[in-house]
Amino acid sequence: MALGVTEEQEELRDSVRRFLADRAPISRVRELMETDDGIDRAVWEQAGAQLGLLGLAIPEEYGGAGFSFAEQAIVLEELGAALYGGPYLASGVLAATALLASPDEAARRDLLPGVASGEVIATVAFTEDDGSWDPAAARLAAVKVGDSWRLDGHKSFVLDGAAAGLVLTLAVADGRLSLFAVDGGAAGLTRATLPTLDQTRKLARLEFDGVPARLIGSPGDAGAVMDRVLNVAAIALAAEQLGGAQRVLDMTVEYTKVRHQFGRPIGSFQGLKHRLADLLLEVESLRSAVTYAASAVAEDSSEVPVLASLVKAYASDTYFHVVAESIQMHGGIGFTWEHDAHLYFKRAKSSELFLGDASYHRERLATRIGV
Amino acid sequence: MELDLGPEIAQYRTELRDWIAAEAPPELPGLFDWNMVMTAGGRRGGQLARAMAHPAYAEWAAKLQDKRLVCPQWPEEYGGQGLDAVRLAVLNEEFHRAGVPRVNRGMGESLVGPSIIVHGTPEQRAHFLPRIISGEDRYCQGFSEPNHGSDLAAVETKGVISGDEIIVTGQKVWTSGAANANRMFVLCRTDVRAEKHAGLSYVLIDFTDPGVTYRPIKQMSGAQEFAEDFLDGVHAPLFNVIGGVNNGWRVAMTTLGHERGGRATVAHLGYEREFWELVETARKRGKNTDPLIRQRLAWCYTQVELMRFAGLRTLAQVASGRPPGPEASIAKLFWSEYHKKLGELAMAIEGADGLLRPEGDGYPVSSWQSVFLSSRAGTIYSGTSEIQRNIIGERALGLPKEPRIVG
Repeated sequence: MALGVTEEQEELRDSVRRFLADRAPISRVRELMETDDGIDRAVWEQAGAQLGLLGLAIPEEYGGAGFSFAEQAIVLEELGAALYGGPYLASGVLAATALLASPDEAARRDLLPGVASGEVIATVAFTEDDGSWDPAAARLAAVKVGDSWRLDGHKSFVLDGAAAGLVLTLAVADGRLSLFAVDGGAAGLTRATLPTLDQTRKLARLEFDGVPARLIGSPGDAGAVMDRVLNVAAIALAAEQLGGAQRVLDMTVEYTKVRHQFGRPIGSFQGLKHRLADLLLEVESLRSAVTYAASAVAEDSSEVPVLASLVKAYASDTYFHVVAESIQMHGGIGFTWEHDAHLYFKRAKSSELFLGDASYHRERLATRIGV
Repeated sequence: MELDLGPEIAQYRTELRDWIAAEAPPELPGLFDWNMVMTAGGRRGGQLARAMAHPAYAEWAAKLQDKRLVCPQWPEEYGGQGLDAVRLAVLNEEFHRAGVPRVNRGMGESLVGPSIIVHGTPEQRAHFLPRIISGEDRYCQGFSEPNHGSDLAAVETKGVISGDEIIVTGQKVWTSGAANANRMFVLCRTDVRAEKHAGLSYVLIDFTDPGVTYRPIKQMSGAQEFAEDFLDGVHAPLFNVIGGVNNGWRVAMTTLGHERGGRATVAHLGYEREFWELVETARKRGKNTDPLIRQRLAWCYTQVELMRFAGLRTLAQVASGRPPGPEASIAKLFWSEYHKKLGELAMAIEGADGLLRPEGDGYPVSSWQSVFLSSRAGTIYSGTSEIQRNIIGERALGLPKEPRIVG
């Protein structure tokens, strides 16, 4: 394991940060969050085709760049810092991991190159109306009609589900959890964009009425695939949360240095300084954890399941704590629509709830370490 | 996962591991759980002292000294091996793995030695350093005073220069290891008219001098790990002033700067051991199925793991030739605050049994009661959590200092 940051990784971070500052600044985030899909196609194409960010951790044989998750975590951190609202997590992490984790080589060859280049926006639909993050709760039914499969039922809380051209869908076939590839424009598929608390993160509800689907692997494969997807996604999301928390902490520290009250910068008061020190402790701890967990994913370590729940719980608590404190420390301006704090605040809450909150993951952690 | 530190370090690790396997007295690992968390004032101090009195410990200490593995991070010319932080970390890891103790010279090794190495004259180095390595000089710290804890630069203990001597008079407090010490490093005021940081001197005194008396302080845990010390006209040659008269603040700060060494990757190990002991206790009491207890145990496990990750990150950073990042400056605040929570959880798991102490004279406590009580000191000694937050806020975040009140 190498936890030291290489020069190559530093360069990657710098170039992603510059790209986002230039093409996806917060003013643009605000415009896009008012749209249905939240996607700036030009930025998406550039990220995929020119910068190779979408296929960063996808092996070269499937059209990716062949780097590891350690590099992808750096990209995710920067995306989180910029509140990027496009379908990177859905397509580059959820869908790519699902395909890579499935035993279906043909599907990987057919579908991954499009995901890697960004030509295809993909997502994984696994949650339903009951909001359970447990794949075993899936009820969407898959029935074989002749040689092909048809899906009936619904999915909800699907990340970028309305924009995706490829929806990898968790369904029950012959009583077993199975993964299917569904075309975004398939007949019988109805998609509705859901109004989200966090407008920078788009969720959709999908109705399936005899929708034709391609089985990925065999019936019963999806349990193991979803375990991997959810573990990697939890760590990916934690990387985003780290980026957001760091950005907000930096922003808040700067503000408390320049904002004067009672004739002194407010950051000189211990009432704020000590709380900021605690936030730094949390953000730095999260950074150590995310760095370690990303290495573990890259090395396919057996520690991944434990780390996934550990970092997701800690990242959820940390990001929310940082942003909540940030609003308080910004004073009146902190709870206005005009200031960006609320965008991060809402993202922190949506990231906390998505894939299960801190308590949920601490319980899983307790189980996974054998308490 | 283990950190890949390159072939040279891997070879160093292998050689060290083989040497320990060949040389360590076989009874040594069984004498004491050398990896366990030591809380100041915890009841394990007595067990440690007994283990260190065993002949196997003396045999081991002699072997380590021959191999220059006592104070190994000191430069070669001063009796060490000049071990860098990475090798020191490997050394600590391998000693832990083998269940054998580092023979360390306490504050002599971590605080006094580095100060003499940086600020001492060649004659002072030649005189004092070998005596620390051999164990002949065993230092305790004379910094804090009854009226000056966090505000260390305000110390009032007087040092009066008289001919080629300095005469030290005053009161010190919160001295750990006083019973084992024969020397004390003292921060005293040698110029009362100077600005408070400018009039201080750093003096090494004979702690067995008739002018020295000390009284153990009984802590809330019932243990007596600290002492208060009364210095009544203790004479020391001016030779024992390190860094020159009135330059003590700078010397004292060097000292504190050396408090953190290559322990980054082993610091969590005791907490890890302790955590699993608590899980075992929870199982025995049937509390491991209580959802609220499970939440808190998972939280504690996370904290211990975060220490491990931070240590690895620090080591990776140092191994690549960069200074440690902010994660190193938060370590003290992190473990001391964590340990209080762990102690509180332990009492929750003990439940009604936490109400009762073991029978016996004095104030004997159970091991979890000991952790619960003694962990409260952790956020106070070696810089309170409030001082730590000031340091983190001002140095790591660059926040402005509090305006000073003149007077």
